[in-house]
Amino acid sequence: MKESRKKTSLYGIVLLILGAGLVFSILASITFGNADISIQEVYKVIFYEIFHVDSFSAYQDGAVHDVVWLIRFPRVLLAAGIGMGLSVCGVVMQAVVKNPLADPYVLGVSSGAYLGAAAAIILGIGAIFGDNAMGIMAFISAVAASFAVLFISGIGGRSSAGKLILAGMAISSVCSAFANFLIYISQNRDATTQISYWSMGSLATADWDNVPVILPIMILATLIFWTQYRKLNLMLLGDETAITLGTDLHKARIAYMLLSSFMVGFAVCAAGMIGFVGLIIPHAMRMLFGTDHKRLIPLSALTGAIFLIWADVACRVILKNSELPIGILVSLIGAPCFIYLMVRKSYGFGGERS
Amino acid sequence: MNISAKDIHLSYGAREILKGVDIHSENGEFVGLIGPNGSGKSTLLKCIYRILKPNAGQIFLDEEELKAMSIKKSARKMGVVAQHNYYNFEFTVREVVMMGRAPHKKALERDNAKDYEIVEEALKTVGMEGFAQRSFSTLSGGEQQRVILARALAQQTPCLILDEPTNHLDITHQLQLMRIVKNLSATVISAIHDLNIAAMFCDRIYALKEGRIIAQGTPREVLTEDFIRQVYQVDAEIAKDSSGQMHILFKG
Repeated sequence: MKESRKKTSLYGIVLLILGAGLVFSILASITFGNADISIQEVYKVIFYEIFHVDSFSAYQDGAVHDVVWLIRFPRVLLAAGIGMGLSVCGVVMQAVVKNPLADPYVLGVSSGAYLGAAAAIILGIGAIFGDNAMGIMAFISAVAASFAVLFISGIGGRSSAGKLILAGMAISSVCSAFANFLIYISQNRDATTQISYWSMGSLATADWDNVPVILPIMILATLIFWTQYRKLNLMLLGDETAITLGTDLHKARIAYMLLSSFMVGFAVCAAGMIGFVGLIIPHAMRMLFGTDHKRLIPLSALTGAIFLIWADVACRVILKNSELPIGILVSLIGAPCFIYLMVRKSYGFGGERS
Repeated sequence: MNISAKDIHLSYGAREILKGVDIHSENGEFVGLIGPNGSGKSTLLKCIYRILKPNAGQIFLDEEELKAMSIKKSARKMGVVAQHNYYNFEFTVREVVMMGRAPHKKALERDNAKDYEIVEEALKTVGMEGFAQRSFSTLSGGEQQRVILARALAQQTPCLILDEPTNHLDITHQLQLMRIVKNLSATVISAIHDLNIAAMFCDRIYALKEGRIIAQGTPREVLTEDFIRQVYQVDAEIAKDSSGQMHILFKG
C-alpha cells in the first residue's frame, strides 16, 4: 500500500513536471526560427496580443508582430495539438487492435489520406474547398478509409482485433495502389512533387484559422479517451475476459476507432503525414510508467505535445534558410528508438516475450 | 445464489456440441463438471459465462434469466476463472485485480479507497498480498492464476465459475487454488480434469460425455470403477486413505 502511494505521488509529480514542461516548451520554442528576433520582442508581441496592454502597442503590427503572432505562435500550438493527438491515438489504436506495433495510421488512414491528396491535386477533385483542397480531401478519404476498414472487419460477425488489422492492410494496399496509379499516369511533375512534399509532413500551414479548430478537438478527444481508461485496459485482456468483467467491448471499439480516425484525419489535413510519434511516445511511456491507461493517456498526451514542438524547432533550425519536413526528422529519430525498444527483451505487451 | 442451466443445446455448424444439458448448483454448493476431452465441459461453462450463446435452453441465476440481464449485472453475480493462459503486458498485480471492480463502476466513476481495500483483501485471500506492485507478466503460472482468482474475488460475486483453472499447474498449486475456492462461501461450478481433485473438493459431480449428462451425484456415487471404464475406457480401482478420502488409482 505504501509503495503504491509512492508510485502515485511520483506519477503526480511527473505529470506536473510535464505540464510545466509543455508551457515552457510553447513559450521557449517561439523564440527559435530563421528570422532574427530578440527574445524580449517575442514576448512583448505575445503579451500585447493576449492582454492588449497599451504600453506594448508598438508591437501590434509590423514584421516582428507578423512573424511571431501569425507564423510562429500558431505553429507551435499546432505542433502541440498534433503531437498530443497522434500520441493518444497511438495509445488507443494499440489497445483497440491489441497490437503493440499499431500506430494511428494502422487502419488504412494514411493511405486513405494519400489517395485523397493525390485525387485532389491530380484530378482536381474537391476544388470547391478552395486553398486547402488537398488537406480536406485527405481528411475525407482518411475517415472514409477507416469506415471501410470497420465495415469490412464487421462482415460475417463481430469485428475482432485481428480482423481489424487485416482489413486495415487490405484497404491500405488498395488506396496506395490507386494513388500510385494516379501519380504514375499523371504527366504533371509539379503535382507529384507537391504530393511527395505533403506526404513528408509539415506544420508550416498553421494559422489562426486551423489552430482554433484542431487544438480544442485534440484536447477534448484526449480528455474523452482519458475517461475511458478502464475499457482500454480491458481491451488488452481480450473480449472474452472483458465480458466476464461486465464489459462488452464491441461498441467501444467502434467508437474509439471513429473518434481517433477523426483526430488523425484533422492532423493529416493540417500537417500531412507525421509517422512514428504515435508509436514511440506510447511505447516509451509504457516502459517507464506501465500499461495502466489511467496514467498512460495523460502522460502520452503531454510528452507527445512536447516532443513534436521540439522536433518542429529542430526542423526550423537544422537547415539554414530552409526547413526540413518534420515527417523526415521524426522518422529519422523515431526508427532507431523503435529498434532499440524492439531489441529490449524485457519489455512485453500482449505479444510474445522473445 | 443458485445457478441452473436447462436443456442447453449448442452447435458449431453441423456439429452438435451440447445436446440438451441440465445442471444445477445450490446456494453455496461446489459442483464439479467432469468428462473426457471434447465432451463439452468448457462449452457449457462458456454458455453460462456468456461467451457463447446457446441455440436453445435457458440459464438462470436464482430465478432470473441470464439472457434478460445486462452483461454488467451478470458480472456482479458471477466471477470467472478461465483456463490459464499467459498474458504478457506490463500491468501490475494490483492493476489486474482492480479490473475486477469494473462491473461495479459507473462510466466516469473513479477507483476509491473502498476498491483498494477490496483488492488488498482479495490478494490476501489468495496469499499474494506481497506481490501487489509486481508486474503480472513476471509471475509464475501458479501465481498468475491466483491473481486471476483474486480478480474474480474482487468482483465480490455470490457465484464463481471455474473453467479447468488448475490446468498446467503443479500439484501444490492445484491443491492450493482449490482449497482457497472451497473455503469461500460462494456457489461454485467448476470444470475439473483430474478425477481425484474432483473427488476431493466437489459436493456433487456432473459427468458429461458427447454433449450429454451421463451421471450425477456425490463423488462417491458417480466415480465408480464401472463408470470410469465406461467413460474413459480405463481400468481403475477406488481406494480409501486413512482419513476416509476416496482415491482413484488408474491401471496402465
